[in-house]
Amino acid sequence: MVKIANSESTFVVLLCLGYYLVMTIIAPGFFTVNNSINLLFNLLPLLIISIGQTYVLLTAGIDLSVTAIVAVASVVGGFMMSSDTVWFHNEFTTLFLGILGMLVVGVLIGAINGWAVAKFAMPAFMVTLTTMMLFSGFAIWLTQSQNLYNLPESFVEMHYTYFLGIPVPLYIALFVVLLAYFLLNRTIFGEWIYAVGANKKTARISGVSVSKTLIGVYVFSGFCAAVGAILYTARLETGSPVMGQNILLDVIGAVVIGGTSLFGGKGTIQGTFFGALFMTLLDNSLNLLNLSFFIIMMVKGMVILGAAILNTVVERSLKTG
Amino acid sequence: MKRFYTCQGLILVMVVLALACKRPKGRTTIGISFETLQTEYWVASSDALKAACEENGLDYLEAIANGDANRQFEQVNNFISRGVDGIVIAPKDAHTVIPVIKAANRAEIPIVIYNRLPAPNKGSYTTIVADNYEITKQTVRYLGDLARASGKQYKAMILIGDLGDTNAVLRREGFNDAILEYEDVIDVVAEVPTEWNQEKALAGVTNALQANPDIGLIFSSSDFLFPSVISALKNAGKYHPIGHEGHVLLGGFDGDAMAYQLLRSNYLDADGVQNVYYECDLAIQAILDILNGKEVDSVLVDPGFVIHQENLEEMAPKMWGANLEVP
Repeated sequence: MVKIANSESTFVVLLCLGYYLVMTIIAPGFFTVNNSINLLFNLLPLLIISIGQTYVLLTAGIDLSVTAIVAVASVVGGFMMSSDTVWFHNEFTTLFLGILGMLVVGVLIGAINGWAVAKFAMPAFMVTLTTMMLFSGFAIWLTQSQNLYNLPESFVEMHYTYFLGIPVPLYIALFVVLLAYFLLNRTIFGEWIYAVGANKKTARISGVSVSKTLIGVYVFSGFCAAVGAILYTARLETGSPVMGQNILLDVIGAVVIGGTSLFGGKGTIQGTFFGALFMTLLDNSLNLLNLSFFIIMMVKGMVILGAAILNTVVERSLKTG
Repeated sequence: MKRFYTCQGLILVMVVLALACKRPKGRTTIGISFETLQTEYWVASSDALKAACEENGLDYLEAIANGDANRQFEQVNNFISRGVDGIVIAPKDAHTVIPVIKAANRAEIPIVIYNRLPAPNKGSYTTIVADNYEITKQTVRYLGDLARASGKQYKAMILIGDLGDTNAVLRREGFNDAILEYEDVIDVVAEVPTEWNQEKALAGVTNALQANPDIGLIFSSSDFLFPSVISALKNAGKYHPIGHEGHVLLGGFDGDAMAYQLLRSNYLDADGVQNVYYECDLAIQAILDILNGKEVDSVLVDPGFVIHQENLEEMAPKMWGANLEVP
């Protein structure tokens, strides 16, 4: 099993490398410093949200509400930080509490998802689809469809603020990636996640707290979506109730291409990193090739479908021996 | 053997990179970014911009963001990476375009904002915009004159757009200021918020017609909402041509193909028209002027015009929707 997981990770690494080389030749402007910075900034929020989704998929669940979490976190951050609403008078307090508020929103929605999935044994698909509708509607109702502007300068300049030569969003992403890697590979919680994903009954008999594990992964997914919302909101300088509306396909695609099993119990943070990188490369390069948005969507859909089919075939071959 | 493959791999990488770096620079290229192509107006604008590029011997790239401001930001950054010489953007709204302007300014690439005035900011840019306020005011005045001439009292409804969009705000202001001049004959009883969404418009107009069945004047802030207005009027049994006793005075804004057909079939009284071809020529010319070191005003205004039953034959050739076919 481990061997197959490794070979899948190798596959996605080679896929990224090969694709990068081909696009360097055929996509004008692809291999430039500017575009590398673009790729990095486009990758970071997607990677962070995909890492949260990886945790959920590892338990054989799915979190469709990440888009709604991004939207609600974005408008809550907008309300708390906009100079139009003036909740706080000190810039540091505004920034600190605004970001904290966004993270709390993500964790709370994640906790609701996890609680419903764990305590009522409801299908994750049903729970998170419902919370997606509920909280997307809530974000629009809260703002009456209006965007929130005039966010603090230190917040909106985040992508252009460097510390030791490295942009601030990269530190944020590094923190999330390392935290996710550590939790998954160096703690008992990580072992529980794999155990629950492989077989819930066996995990329960073995003494694993299935409920705590499930709640934990949805909370982590909510946290990651909120961190992604921080990056999106800062970049667009806007708290928007439709922020992140179209990222679900990219998020699930990144995790599946990264080799995480749709049936749970198998997947790595490294795989998701390369999956997210591939999705970002795909979007960026097809755009540079001047293909229309609709063709880009079709290509992405086909790639994700291909990855999902591969995922299912591998899973079946494992079960049949 | 392993070392042989490694060396081969390294050589391949070097060749690829060398090829990439040696790519010659072609003709002047313009990046055209649209928030959406969901309405005829945007499609006609996209076609007119591309035609203007071709007329001027320019290459162009086009990206559509499908209503996603974040994606539009990424697409414009891709244009910058690609090394375009100028950018024309029809942004999602007045505020989310600000980081896009900043990105273009950082790269020192001239940027023209098409059709939507950005919120005040310190960036350097040129905006091409129709005189939404004045065109709407003139259109509503025409409707007001018809109302006064009929000798009847009218209850009116306006469909307003997304108020995050400066154009929607100005059209609403133009409507309100024009209506003030006709307070003796027109009473505004319904403001339907549509957020530029057909379904919301249909639900809003239906509800307003139920609450006020005697509404006799409707102004739509965009022609693309006419299908919703007509559907609601038909359901209420109020869709009649000009001259019929139950005719509801109807006005719109944009000048699309449906508005042209409604004018021709005597259902639409007046329509404010944005001169798409003029605006697109202005946009491309502005970029060329900036590239040639000429001074360009920060706002270039399309005065537009009002088309109605009396000047239909005269003005139709200038109406962009008259040159399109209704799907």
